[in-house]
Amino acid sequence: MIEAIVLKIARFALGSLWVTIRADVLEGAKIALRSLGANRLRTLLTTGGIAIGVATLLAILGIIQGLNESFERQLATMGTTSLYVSKRRFGPTGDDWQEARIRKDIDLAQMEAVRNECTYCEVVAPNIWYQADVSFLGNTISGVQLIGTTEEYIEVGGYKMARGRFLNYSDDADRKAVVVLAADIAESLFPSSDPVGATVRIDDHPFRVIGTLERRGKMLDMNRDKAVVLPLRTMRGSWGVFRSLTLIVGVDSAENMDRASDQLTGIMRRARKTPADRPDDFAINRPEQLLDLYEKLTGGLYMVITGIGLITLIVGGIGIMNIMLVSVRERTREIGVRRALGARKRTIVLQFLMEAATVSGVGGAIGTAVGLSAAKIVSLITPLAATVQIGTILFGVSFAAAVGLLFGIWPAARAANLDPVEALRYE
Amino acid sequence: MLISLEGITRHFVVGGETVRALQGVSFSVEKGEWVAIVGQSGSGKSTLMNVLGCLDTPTAGRYTLNGQDVQTLDDDALAQIRNKEIGFIFQTFQLLPRETALSNVELPLVYRGMRPKERRERARRALDQVQLSNRTHHRPNELSGGQRQRVAIARALVTEPSLLLADEPTGNLDSSTGEEIIRLFEQLHRAGHTICLVTHEPKLAARCPRAIRISDGRIVADGPGPQVALEQQPLPRVGS
Repeated sequence: MIEAIVLKIARFALGSLWVTIRADVLEGAKIALRSLGANRLRTLLTTGGIAIGVATLLAILGIIQGLNESFERQLATMGTTSLYVSKRRFGPTGDDWQEARIRKDIDLAQMEAVRNECTYCEVVAPNIWYQADVSFLGNTISGVQLIGTTEEYIEVGGYKMARGRFLNYSDDADRKAVVVLAADIAESLFPSSDPVGATVRIDDHPFRVIGTLERRGKMLDMNRDKAVVLPLRTMRGSWGVFRSLTLIVGVDSAENMDRASDQLTGIMRRARKTPADRPDDFAINRPEQLLDLYEKLTGGLYMVITGIGLITLIVGGIGIMNIMLVSVRERTREIGVRRALGARKRTIVLQFLMEAATVSGVGGAIGTAVGLSAAKIVSLITPLAATVQIGTILFGVSFAAAVGLLFGIWPAARAANLDPVEALRYE
Repeated sequence: MLISLEGITRHFVVGGETVRALQGVSFSVEKGEWVAIVGQSGSGKSTLMNVLGCLDTPTAGRYTLNGQDVQTLDDDALAQIRNKEIGFIFQTFQLLPRETALSNVELPLVYRGMRPKERRERARRALDQVQLSNRTHHRPNELSGGQRQRVAIARALVTEPSLLLADEPTGNLDSSTGEEIIRLFEQLHRAGHTICLVTHEPKLAARCPRAIRISDGRIVADGPGPQVALEQQPLPRVGS
C-alpha cells in the first residue's frame, strides 16, 4: 500500500522532471543554438570578446605562476634546512639600518661557539664575499664572486664537484693558495683543457686550481656559476677582508628549524655578549624570508595585472549583455508567441541564459587554448617562465561561464518579464 | 458552462490617466458555441480577448474557464492554462519564421513536455485536419497567407483545447482566402469546438450563431449573429 503510494509519487516526480527537461532545458538549448547559428558573425564577435578576455587572464596568470614557481625552485636550492646567521637581516631592514651598521661583526670565535654548542646543527660553514678579476694566460674575467669559506661549505651550499676535490681542513688552516672554480669560470678559462693543477691569477695572486663545480644555475639575479671558492683564511690574508661572516647552518631536520633558531639565538647572544636588556644584534635568516620579501614586492603588481585581465573579461561580458539585449528585442514577438502557447517565465529565462552561457563557454574554451599557447610562447622566447596549472584553466573557463551567466541574467529576465500582450503586438 | 465572466473590468493607467477598457462585462459561453465579439477599434474587444485568453488579468471581476477561477492563478499556472485550454489564432498568424510548419504546430506540445515522437505524430494529424499534410516541411515564408493561417489553426487545434480564440483571423487575407478560413471555422464548429471570434467586420459576425457587441467597454447587444451584427450601431459617446 505504502510502497504503491511512494512509487506513484516517485513516478510523478520523475515524470515532472522529464517534462521540465524537455520543455525547458532541451527546448532552451535548441533555441539558443539555432539563434547563435542564425547570427554567425555576431556570435563570432561576441565569442571573440570573451575569448580575448580569458586568453589575457590565463596568459597573465600563467606567467605569474611561472615566475613564482621558478623563484620557489631557486629558493629550494638554498636548502630547506638551512639557516643563515648574519649581522643584518636579509631584505629591507626597515628603520634599524643605522643601528645595524654599527653592530659587532660575526667572527670565527662566534662560529666556534655555534659549532660547539648547537645540538641541532649538523654542519656550520662561514662565508665571506668579495669581487675580483680572475685570469689565466691573458684571459681575464672581471667581477667574479669570491667566496671565502671552509670545507663544510660543499655540504650546505648545495654544490657538487665536477672534477678534482673541494677545500679541505689544511687548505684553510695553512692558508694555502688553492681555488675551486664554478662552472662558468672553468669553462671560459679552460675551454679545452683540464683546469685542475693549473695556476690562475686572482687579482694578481697566483692560485692553484684543485677542483671545479657542477653547474648550479641562477639564483634571483645572481649567477652562482660565475664564482670561485677559496679557503676563508687565505682570502682574509690575501685581500685583508675582515668583514663580518655569514654562518650557513645546516639543521638536522626540517622539523627542528624553530628549535635550532631559538638555540642559535641563545648561543649567539652569549658569544657576542649581548646585554640582556638589548634586542638581538644579529639575525637568523631563513630562505622563506626571501619569499615573503618577493611576495611583498610583486604581490601588488600581480594584483594590478590580474585586474587588467579581469577587466578585459568583463568588457567581453558587457559585449554578451549587449548582444543579448539586441537578441531579446529582436525576438520580442517570438517571446510573446511562446508565452501565449504556454511557455513559462523560467523557460524563457533558461533559453536566453543558455544562449549567453554557450557564447561565453565557447569563448572561454577558445580563450583557454589561446592563453595557454601565449604563455607557452612567452616562456620560450623570453626569460620569463610560464606554467599553467589545471586549477588556472578551470578558473578561466568557469570565470568566463560565470561572466556569461551574470551578464545574461538581466537580458534574460527582461525577456521573461515582457508582457505577452505587448510582446505579441511588437513590430 | 465553459466560460463565465462576471463584472469584468480592466483599467490601464497610461500617462497618469486611467483608461477604462472594460467596465463590467458579464456573459457566459456554453461548450460548443460559436460566438463573435464585435466592436469598433477602441471598444475594448481586444482587451476582452486578452482576458479571455489569460494573457491579461482583469482589474476586477470573476472569470471562470472550464471550472477554474482564473484570477487566482499565478503566472506559471496561467501559462499552463493557456497551453491546455486555449488555442490562439491571430490576425498576423504569429508563426515562428525560422521553423517549419510542422515545428510550429509542435511548439505548444513542447511546452507540455511531450515526447518528440508523439508530438510530431499529433502535429501531423493537426496539419491533416487543415488540409496541409503536403506542406509540413515548408517555412512560413514559403507558404501563402491562407496556408499560414491554416498552420496557425493547426497549432491551435493540436493541443485539443477547450476554447479556440481567434482575433480577426481573416483581417490579413484577401476575401476569397478569408472565405476559405471561415469555412474551416464552420467545420470546426460542426465538429463540436467552442470558438470565440473577435472581429470588427459585421459581415463576419453575421455568420456566427451568436454575437456580442462591445462598445466603450460594455456589452451593448448579445443575440443571434445576423441580428446583432446588422443592427444600427450606436454613435460613440463623447466623454465618460
